[in-house]
Amino acid sequence: MRIQRYDSDRQIIERYTDQPPLIPPALRLRIEEHFEGGPVQLYALADLDSSLRLGETWVALGSRAITLARERGEELEVQGFERARIREVRLEPGLSCNTLRFLAGPGEPALARVRFTHRQRRAMENLQFVVEQQLRGREIPPADPDAAYAEGVASPIREAQALVAGNDMAVLWRLLAYLKPYRGQVAFGLASAALLTGFTLVPPYLTGYLIDEVIRPVQAGVRTVAEVSRTAWLAVAAIAVAYALRQLCAWARLRWMAILGERVALDLRTELYAHLQKLSLSFYSRKKTGSLITRVSADTDRLWEFLALGVVDVSLSIVMLAGLSSVLIWLDWRLGLIMTVPVPFLCAWVFLHGRRMNTLFLRAWRKWSRLTDVVSDTIPGMRVVKAFHQEGREMQRFHERNCSATEEFNRIHGVWTSFWPTLMFAVRGMVVLVWIFAIPRVIGSDSELGPALSSGTFVAFLLYMTMFINPIDIIGQMARIMNRATSSAHRIFEVLDTEPQIVDAPDPVRLDPVQGRVTFEDVSFAYDGVRQVIKGISFDVQPGEMIGLVGPSGGGKTTVTNLIARFYEASGGKVSVDGVDIRKLAIGHYRHQLGMVLQDPYLFHGTVVENISYGMPEASFDRVVDAARAANAHDFLCKLPNGYETLVGERGHTLSGGERQRISIARAILSDPRILILDEATSSVDTETEYKIQEAMERLTSGRTVFAIAHRLSTLRRASRLFVIEDGCLTEQGTHAELLARPDGTYRRLYELQRELTGTRLRRC
Amino acid sequence: MARANRLRAPRREGLRLERGSDGQLWARQGETARAVRVTRCFPWSEPSRYLSLRDGDDEEVALIRDLAELGPDSRHALAESLIEASFVLQVEGVEEVEEEIEIRSFRVRTRQGVRSFQTLRDEWPRRMPGGGVLMRDVAGDLYFIPSPASLDEKSRKLLWAYLD
Repeated sequence: MRIQRYDSDRQIIERYTDQPPLIPPALRLRIEEHFEGGPVQLYALADLDSSLRLGETWVALGSRAITLARERGEELEVQGFERARIREVRLEPGLSCNTLRFLAGPGEPALARVRFTHRQRRAMENLQFVVEQQLRGREIPPADPDAAYAEGVASPIREAQALVAGNDMAVLWRLLAYLKPYRGQVAFGLASAALLTGFTLVPPYLTGYLIDEVIRPVQAGVRTVAEVSRTAWLAVAAIAVAYALRQLCAWARLRWMAILGERVALDLRTELYAHLQKLSLSFYSRKKTGSLITRVSADTDRLWEFLALGVVDVSLSIVMLAGLSSVLIWLDWRLGLIMTVPVPFLCAWVFLHGRRMNTLFLRAWRKWSRLTDVVSDTIPGMRVVKAFHQEGREMQRFHERNCSATEEFNRIHGVWTSFWPTLMFAVRGMVVLVWIFAIPRVIGSDSELGPALSSGTFVAFLLYMTMFINPIDIIGQMARIMNRATSSAHRIFEVLDTEPQIVDAPDPVRLDPVQGRVTFEDVSFAYDGVRQVIKGISFDVQPGEMIGLVGPSGGGKTTVTNLIARFYEASGGKVSVDGVDIRKLAIGHYRHQLGMVLQDPYLFHGTVVENISYGMPEASFDRVVDAARAANAHDFLCKLPNGYETLVGERGHTLSGGERQRISIARAILSDPRILILDEATSSVDTETEYKIQEAMERLTSGRTVFAIAHRLSTLRRASRLFVIEDGCLTEQGTHAELLARPDGTYRRLYELQRELTGTRLRRC
Repeated sequence: MARANRLRAPRREGLRLERGSDGQLWARQGETARAVRVTRCFPWSEPSRYLSLRDGDDEEVALIRDLAELGPDSRHALAESLIEASFVLQVEGVEEVEEEIEIRSFRVRTRQGVRSFQTLRDEWPRRMPGGGVLMRDVAGDLYFIPSPASLDEKSRKLLWAYLD
């Protein structure tokens, strides 16, 4: 998986940036010579030179030295210094120029100073991190330097768009592969489409035949009505049958392909949603919710449109144009060429028009989004608008943007309303040209323009010519249709191709039940693989203990709980539950015995009872009510108009924060977890509600292993032990009393600060 | 105590700025010297006024409302640091713009050299005070077009959909 990721990062760098996907091999060799044979442990590119022009200086980290290397024409320039001389590494961010200084002792010139754009910043920060850890006496095990560099540079692009676009045909083939299970229906749909084309071509031919073989001979007195009536009625019947069969094929094709498109969309949606359920939390932290919702809904819908209509329409149009051209040339090759030669040019013209329209739409879309920005800004912020009496200004802002967007849409209307009549005029011009060349031959005999032409053939010709427009339009728009489909397919495949990072081991262990012993052995963790947010933490928590996790924000408390829940896997060390490595546990079975109450409890759209029994849908009403009573939720639920069957709305917005919290506690109580994680569960409620929640929590936590994160330290007074997590390390642990007894302890400082604040607030009251 | 320090207005009296031998900007006030970096409060509207000097903990050491408040040596030292702090890539021409699925790819000629970059598709170029246009790529780098009207015809045509 890591190799795949590295390959993809390299592709991203090659496709989207102008920099090498890895350090040039010749330079690397020279650097390693400089390191006396030691390997390059990590490297980054400084892409700005001292005069702030784009350049290429590689900063490489060895076990004992750092080098700055660059190519100067044929020359390789390598300078370096000992890592032992570094006293400080200082990063100064700027708008687009960051400066990293490697500093020696005070007053001494910098050992090195490199400048780079934000694109290089992650790779450069990795390097800075490793050196800083060394200064603090911690050795970071060497990572794969090429992968770390590629990941650092490619990450911002990958986070915006995970797939390297470009190979549209491959994406299209992959999409068409979803039709495979429905081969029969596809064949039927395509056959219907082909027959439809064939039947469409029959009536004009028969019309010409009728004129030449029936109408004109009778009018000229060459044949009698009696002689031709049988032929005439047969021809009319054949036209009627052709029309009927044509419509039958049109119906069959539309129905079959529409249903087929729907089936494929259903398959894609199901596969996509199932895959989304398997993906790890790290995926969701990178992607916007709106973008994922669009993929499941709008993109699959767009693919339906393509599969149901696009595939057939495009192939049908090609067949139709080829058929028409053949028939016209067969009827009369001179006139046929007048109609068919301009067709490729007309297709190209429609295509170019489509491109122009894309540009116009892009500009209109930009202005439209500026308009919707005003609406999405002011509607939620209406209280502020009114409070500051800015209604007039907002109206003016909206009016300006509204006018500007309308101007663009009018421009679009101006273009397409001119284009289509012009195109039609060109086609009519071709028809007039056909008339000019045909008339002398229709009314006269053989001439220099060609042999005599029968009226019937000419009428048939005219009827065929009217069929040219639609296929030209569709073929001209083929690029746009394909583009839309491949974009949607790309977005869907981007998700499907993302591998879940947490998967069950072969023969996973099922702890039945989990006792609740949680052990960390020298655990380290880095979200990006290099910069560790958990640095060698060890602890052993016995079943039934309540552990309070305290410390400054960003110190790593939530990451510890994420590792316990196995939302992420430790980069180093081992997390065990009941003595079993957490990586060997069956994830689903383990998480079923784990409960979480978060700061912002999430309630699903549905009734209260559905939300409480979310983790245990089969629970009886008795158990639901008991859980709600234990969570101090029963009383307020009884006051709701529909009791436990009240709809709580999307995200539970109809309830207060404290009420939602108590429902989430009831949910946790009902699922009876062996290990419970409380992440800032009472931080956003008032004192009275907090009291009720605390009371509920006491019932919830008894008899389980609990990890509770809280900034309000008073809420952790019942904890068996407190862990102080700072800068990714476990710096203090002990009971409340033990930690308070440490004169310079962090816990004591935090506790006193909070007491001081509370005192100040009380005095103010 | 720490809170009180944070609330105290940064002093400018007796402030001297100088560049150390390591290229670092130092702010000296009396006996104390602190390594600082400079950030512009209004980088586009008032690029040479309202300059915030910040230390390693990102605490403000002083706010320079006007360069005239400083002596000539300090002004000179500050100007040098400002060049790096306010550096953005200056676009002189556009070679290619490509719309992709989630991103928009640009290939541009900048005063600093040729560069390809990507923006999110819903992140549009911003018109700045003074008539310039600013683009921000997915990594956070900024690309400034001082005068879009004076770009060559091809560049203007490529940018037409993105600019007013």
